[in-house]
Amino acid sequence: MTDNGLFNNDWMELQRRYWEGWTDLSRKAMGLEKPKTNPWEAAMEHWWQAFKPAAPDPSKVFMDRMLEQGKVFFGLVEQMTRGLGATGAATDPTAGWDVLNKTLTGMQDAFTGAMGRGMTGADDDNATQRLLGFWELPLDNWQRMMSTLAPTPGDWLRNMPHGPVQDSLHRVLSAPGLGYSREEQGQYQELIRSGLDYQRALTEYASFFSQLGVKSVQRMRELLTERGDTERPIESARALYDAWIGCCEDVYAEEVSTRDYARIHGRLVNAQMALKQRLSIMVDETLGAWNMPTRAEVRTLQDRLQETRRENKRLRHDMDDIKRRVAAIATTSGPAKSPVARKKTVVRKKTVAKPDTP
Amino acid sequence: MFPIDIRPDKLALEMQEYSQKLAQGMQNLMDAGDIDAGVTPKDAVYQEDKLTLYRYQRTGATVQRPVPLLVVYALVNRPYMTDIQEDRSTIRGLLATGQDVYLIDWGYPDQADRSLTLDDYINGYIDRCVDHIRDAHGLDRINLLGICQGGTFSLLYTALHPQKVQNLVTMVTPVDFKTPDNLLSAWVQDIDVDLMIDTMGNVPGELLNWTFLSLKPFSLTGQKYVNMVDLLDDADKVKNFLRMEQWIFDSPDQAGETFRQFIKDFYQKNGLLRGGVQIGGRPIDLKQITCPLLNIYAQQDHLVPPDASRALDGLTGTDDYTELAFPGGHIGIYVSGKAQKEVTPAIGEWLNQRSG
Repeated sequence: MTDNGLFNNDWMELQRRYWEGWTDLSRKAMGLEKPKTNPWEAAMEHWWQAFKPAAPDPSKVFMDRMLEQGKVFFGLVEQMTRGLGATGAATDPTAGWDVLNKTLTGMQDAFTGAMGRGMTGADDDNATQRLLGFWELPLDNWQRMMSTLAPTPGDWLRNMPHGPVQDSLHRVLSAPGLGYSREEQGQYQELIRSGLDYQRALTEYASFFSQLGVKSVQRMRELLTERGDTERPIESARALYDAWIGCCEDVYAEEVSTRDYARIHGRLVNAQMALKQRLSIMVDETLGAWNMPTRAEVRTLQDRLQETRRENKRLRHDMDDIKRRVAAIATTSGPAKSPVARKKTVVRKKTVAKPDTP
Repeated sequence: MFPIDIRPDKLALEMQEYSQKLAQGMQNLMDAGDIDAGVTPKDAVYQEDKLTLYRYQRTGATVQRPVPLLVVYALVNRPYMTDIQEDRSTIRGLLATGQDVYLIDWGYPDQADRSLTLDDYINGYIDRCVDHIRDAHGLDRINLLGICQGGTFSLLYTALHPQKVQNLVTMVTPVDFKTPDNLLSAWVQDIDVDLMIDTMGNVPGELLNWTFLSLKPFSLTGQKYVNMVDLLDDADKVKNFLRMEQWIFDSPDQAGETFRQFIKDFYQKNGLLRGGVQIGGRPIDLKQITCPLLNIYAQQDHLVPPDASRALDGLTGTDDYTELAFPGGHIGIYVSGKAQKEVTPAIGEWLNQRSG
């Protein structure tokens, strides 16, 4: 631990003014609006926006991902070291801990608040948004995956009303259809019900991860306490980031091993499948009405064809086997013998004179 | 003591270095070029539907062993993991021990393959590949090496066709699908597999990717890309990273009926331990496996925990059962330098002692 007095607000302020001056100049040249980000993040984003048009397409996707994680890295470091300079934490650990605890509590409050409004909100500053956004990774992965499997975006149901509104909707949807179109009405009702069920499952899934964010901050607090107690301070931004990742993974691993999570996960997948099945049925109905092949018909044909191919291959295998055996028999019994002339047997009938009849 | 000792000048320098590495490494990324899938030359010797059976070309002047080896990979992911780069190739390692290596490439199933069952894969495709190799070499039996789910398939195949297998090697193969530390198994218990397959037909590779990434989401979709910046100045390391990246996301779709049976009979009912598995109407009895068996597992495997593989001990009818523990993970057992030095030579030696 150093006490050279460098760890103070003046130095941080100098760094910020340097980067902001550089980015301001570049921004004016490029005609970009002022971002509300930390200076390092802004500089990196600025560089990438300038370079991106020249990058090959495959690299763009990859670099976007790397930059996004880089921003999380910068955002976390900014969050955790924010305000520490002002207290001179190096020389006054107690004051440093006050600031750090406030930061950690603020992070937990941000997660708790996010549970009510659905994770990241416009009120959060950029660093907090990045932190909350980081804990959205699992949900984000699910939504990206579902977007590739469906014509609708993976998060299209995320902000639908839930709670009492859903309950009312369910009651309305329970009313049976009437008349000629009762079957069609029933299908639409089932479709909407499936959509609501999926949305409920998705909300439950997102809420699960919001809670884990709070727990991961607590785990980070414990880790930092332990590092302070054992006089092994974290000495680099990367080490701070790795420590945070470790806490998140530990908490995540503990929670996703539970039966509760398995149920939530199962409900999410099953609800999504039920919704897709409803959509498939309705698409098939429409295709059938237009006299076009439906998915159900194609599947029936596929099953029958596969059964025929299976049988065909089995028969071919049996035939090959028989041919092999016949060839083996022909080989072991040697050349065929010439046919022997059969001796004709002549049967002589013995004639016995019949006695004269009176 | 205060737990964070990061001076602002050091912090600024670290951030600057990070940004510089990123910018400088961009050139290596752009110059990486096409990413090859497998490095060892091979010939396609048999094809059926989407399947291709490859025979790898011999390397160097190694004396070739008389009994060929068929590698059966899993349906999930692509088999070029075993041959991902010159100095990290399980295939090359096996060739160097004198094995005549064949490999089944399952290809990329589409909805036309939806109706394929486990019977089609095991008593169909695998059996015909085995017969092709037996005919080509004039042998009654060949050696089999199954990897992960391919190992499970190899066990099923050998139980049904013991007369065709001389020696069996299983690598990171799940046998007990319900060990307490198996996250994948825990997650799949509440999934209605019938609904899933009836709805989707095939299971998309993207869904499998999501499931695997969900095992460690922050490391695999976050931290990995921050760490990658440290590699960017080395063109070779960039290429190696991109190869792994390509492989990780290169997940074929799974034939629906096969996936249905595999999840229900193995993950949900744990059929290999509890019994009741049938393939093509024939019950599976692992005691029918009487050939020598080498079972290799990875001690830090989070996909197939060690106990899931070690459960094989005592289930078969062989009196020549050997276990080999590798101190690494599910992927490291193929691509790590340590695996090249320890695992493939051990497999080669074990096979050579039993193949004449």
